[in-house]
Amino acid sequence: MLHKKLEQLGAVKQGNFWVDCETYHATGNTTGQPSKLLYVMHNSETPLSCMALFEGGPGLSADANFDVLMVKLKSHFQNAKGHKVESRGARYRYCDFLVKIGTIAMSSSARGISVEVEYCACVIPGDCWNLMKEFMQSFLGSNTPELPTVFTNKPEGLCVPVDCMDTMSQYLELFSKVRKQQVMPGSGVR
Amino acid sequence: MADVMNVGVNLEAFSQAINAIQALRSSVTRVFDSLKDGMKNKETLEGREKVFITEFQDNLQSVNRDLNELERLSTLVGRPSESHPLHNSGLLSLDPVQDKTPLYSQLLQAYKWSNKLQYHAGLASSLLNQQSLKRSANQMGTSAKRRPKVQPSTLVLPTQYVDDVISRIGRMFPDMSIELFRPNGTSAVLLVTLGKVLKAIVVMRSLFIDRTIVRGFHENIYSEDGKLDIWSKSNYQAFQKVTDHATTALLHYQLPQMPDVVVRSFMTWLRSYIKLFQNPCQRCGKYLQEGLPPTWRDFRTLEAFHDTCRQ
Repeated sequence: MLHKKLEQLGAVKQGNFWVDCETYHATGNTTGQPSKLLYVMHNSETPLSCMALFEGGPGLSADANFDVLMVKLKSHFQNAKGHKVESRGARYRYCDFLVKIGTIAMSSSARGISVEVEYCACVIPGDCWNLMKEFMQSFLGSNTPELPTVFTNKPEGLCVPVDCMDTMSQYLELFSKVRKQQVMPGSGVR
Repeated sequence: MADVMNVGVNLEAFSQAINAIQALRSSVTRVFDSLKDGMKNKETLEGREKVFITEFQDNLQSVNRDLNELERLSTLVGRPSESHPLHNSGLLSLDPVQDKTPLYSQLLQAYKWSNKLQYHAGLASSLLNQQSLKRSANQMGTSAKRRPKVQPSTLVLPTQYVDDVISRIGRMFPDMSIELFRPNGTSAVLLVTLGKVLKAIVVMRSLFIDRTIVRGFHENIYSEDGKLDIWSKSNYQAFQKVTDHATTALLHYQLPQMPDVVVRSFMTWLRSYIKLFQNPCQRCGKYLQEGLPPTWRDFRTLEAFHDTCRQ
């Protein structure tokens, strides 16, 4: 239904996209605290790089060889297989907007829908939030979300140019929400 | 064209052919007239149809006859020979190898073509001169003979003066930074960075703005060899629209005697784009129209409008 609405608006389909996320446990903790989870994510927008983030903590973006490095660090980080979440779908372009609608799947069972809207012409989120909200309202109706917390948490989050890490943090939040929703498959809009 | 000396043209057949053309034209007109008039009023439908069809057939046959007559006559008329001796250039036509080097006919064609070109150019220049399209205060060299003294021209200004003016304007606006480069000789190329919204490259010719190109803040302004890229358009439609509006603006702000005022008003106008994504349109109240933010800024009031909403 979303696809139809977008196509009615005049968006042009430009191919497919995927975002995935793997979880790693940090081992070797002596103090007995719950082990921190490291998330390694990939994005088809930046196919040659890998992003690694801690939940709510610092993150880094690296080369695609980072995956190989994680394998070598098996003694410190263990892969939690079965917790891999990914979102795959179609990518649309409307004027200067990029809209990606994907199905979130965890261990090959569909859990929800993710909608990503990016306004490519502007880099400052504070400037164009109203503009984006208006655009989202035109095809999402009442499901339009509020300003993502990733920007409100940072001290000058609204006036600083965005980064690919911000996008990944937002995806991470969404995937965590979906992971917690074990029983009922809902639709998480981002 | 038809010369009395030409034996190739059969004048008799020529006049007969003209008459035949007239006859053909009238018969074709008759066909269309009968079609337009439609069926005449008769008692039965069949009667009407029959009469219409017979009339139509008659008309078409007369057209056919006239066309055949015309074709017959046209074969009799013959071709006018191409070897018109035009004074000295006619000597070129004496070259016996006519097929391989059709020099003379090509010469005739080139001559006709250049005559037409001259005529059209004359018409165009008289039309264009009616509108005064000059932005600079420069006298044209029509009276070059009777001008012993040099007229002051705003097209040739010392580069130091240009630098001073630009730096003064740059200091006027705190959120706009202007850098000056001279990659190609004496004309300045300015890189105007407006906040974190856009970067504009303005190419100048002494103190007159020649052209401008606007790109997003994060887009690459340098070409592959490291020089400022002044040609490629922005990747985003919003900034392509802003580039078009900026070109309109630089043509709008004109004052031949005081080019520095012009540059200052252009920069003031450009500065209103700092809130390109934040201001809604003054007319419709919305942020987006066909996916574009309000990209037009009124020249006097600097209010934001969508391109489709502006008066």
